[in-house]
Amino acid sequence: MSMQTTVEQVDGAIPITVLALEGELDASNFQELIDTVRRLYDEGTRQLIIDLAGLRFMASSGLVALHSIVQIMHGEEPLDPEGGWGALHSIGGEQQTEVRLAGPQPAVERVLTRTGLDRMFVVHADRYVAIDAASAPA
Amino acid sequence: MTTEVAPELDLDAVVAPFRSLDPGLCLAIEGADGTPIASTSLAYPAGDAVTREILAGALVGGRIRVWGAASADGLGAAVAESLAAALAAAPVTNLAIAAQHAADARRLEVELAHGRRLQRSFVSLTPPDVPGYDIAAHYEAAREVGGDFFDLFRLRRRGSPLSVVIADVTGKGIAAALLMAFVRPLLHAAIDHTTGPSEALERTNRILVDERRSSLFITALAGRLDVRTGHLRLANAGHEPPLMIRADGSPPTWLEGAGPLVGAFNRLDVPEITIDLEPGDVALLYTDGITDASSPGGERFDEWRMLETIEAARGGSAQGLVTALADTVCAFQEPSPPVDDITIVAIRRLPAT
Repeated sequence: MSMQTTVEQVDGAIPITVLALEGELDASNFQELIDTVRRLYDEGTRQLIIDLAGLRFMASSGLVALHSIVQIMHGEEPLDPEGGWGALHSIGGEQQTEVRLAGPQPAVERVLTRTGLDRMFVVHADRYVAIDAASAPA
Repeated sequence: MTTEVAPELDLDAVVAPFRSLDPGLCLAIEGADGTPIASTSLAYPAGDAVTREILAGALVGGRIRVWGAASADGLGAAVAESLAAALAAAPVTNLAIAAQHAADARRLEVELAHGRRLQRSFVSLTPPDVPGYDIAAHYEAAREVGGDFFDLFRLRRRGSPLSVVIADVTGKGIAAALLMAFVRPLLHAAIDHTTGPSEALERTNRILVDERRSSLFITALAGRLDVRTGHLRLANAGHEPPLMIRADGSPPTWLEGAGPLVGAFNRLDVPEITIDLEPGDVALLYTDGITDASSPGGERFDEWRMLETIEAARGGSAQGLVTALADTVCAFQEPSPPVDDITIVAIRRLPAT
């Protein structure tokens, strides 16, 4: 089980970073994904599209990663999911637009829907629709 | 793990701190091509003939390999790893530090073993006795401590309905286990003091979101069974849907309909689903350790293998069904140890006699 990530920058009035995931997101690599996004945020990414088209499988630890990613993009430092207890502001119910999801396969979409994580994200049909939406002035 | 051994290495000095720690550790010397030359247990003094032979082997450019013999209490592997790492990394002068690390590893192992025993005591494998029903459960933590749990108990109210909960704390290890230990009684109390499973999950969520903030969530499926009628009310917060296996032989079906997982949002709004267990019907609750289990080749167990296993075991007892599923998942993953906890609960309404 493994996952490859590809980062692509889309220039425009609002610069966008597209992070494409390929393979399987599970307990063995979700921490790496969080670290990747933390690095992107540190390097200046403020609009992130996660392209899920190549992701075949997402375990429940993937949900922890997605939740953490939203917090990073909000400028909050998530705690280490293995590290135990700590104070952190829950995102609440509101939908944010710093992170968008694109093109989930049915299996991944089912996990997002079943767990209600789809409430946190705008989910687009594919990365191009997502880029258009993210480029549009709010 | 192997390591080059410096010719001047004093093996007695190497092993002395470890011997007091765990006499079950073994050292072996291998030639440069990996062929074993000799081995010894730390139970013997390093000055004895075998150990001298090992030392001699090391002197001619071989490698030392370390492993922990499984001691009676099942511990030792972490110590062996630590020693091997010490031999690989540390100059002989740093052995005191290496020994300290090994001692820490040992202490942690012992602590985790205590934690595991304590945690297992939370998860009673003996289901309550409910006349007219056949109930079985299986719980297996992937690591020393796990994040799955289930809870089966009779409610103190008219008709003594049966409450069933199955849950999975996302994330692994000690953090997940701590949260599990925190949430289980919370959910139990909420169920005991609410009118139904949806409200119990909602209340638990409110407590978690207001009072505890972390990136760990809980998927939970809660149910309340009227044992006289077989009427089952269920509420699902992001958990795997329960599987209904009817006595009439029809294909098993998943009861879809869920709200978000507990602890992530301010509100849950979990829909209540209801179903009637007819005589011979089985409601099967499980965690994603079943469907997400992967074979050495990287295949997932998935829903279809689950159905296949259930088809072969249906019609029998609840325990038969649970055991068949647990065993098949275990065999599917072999020889790898499971990476996720596995929990299964089967509630079967006994056929009318």
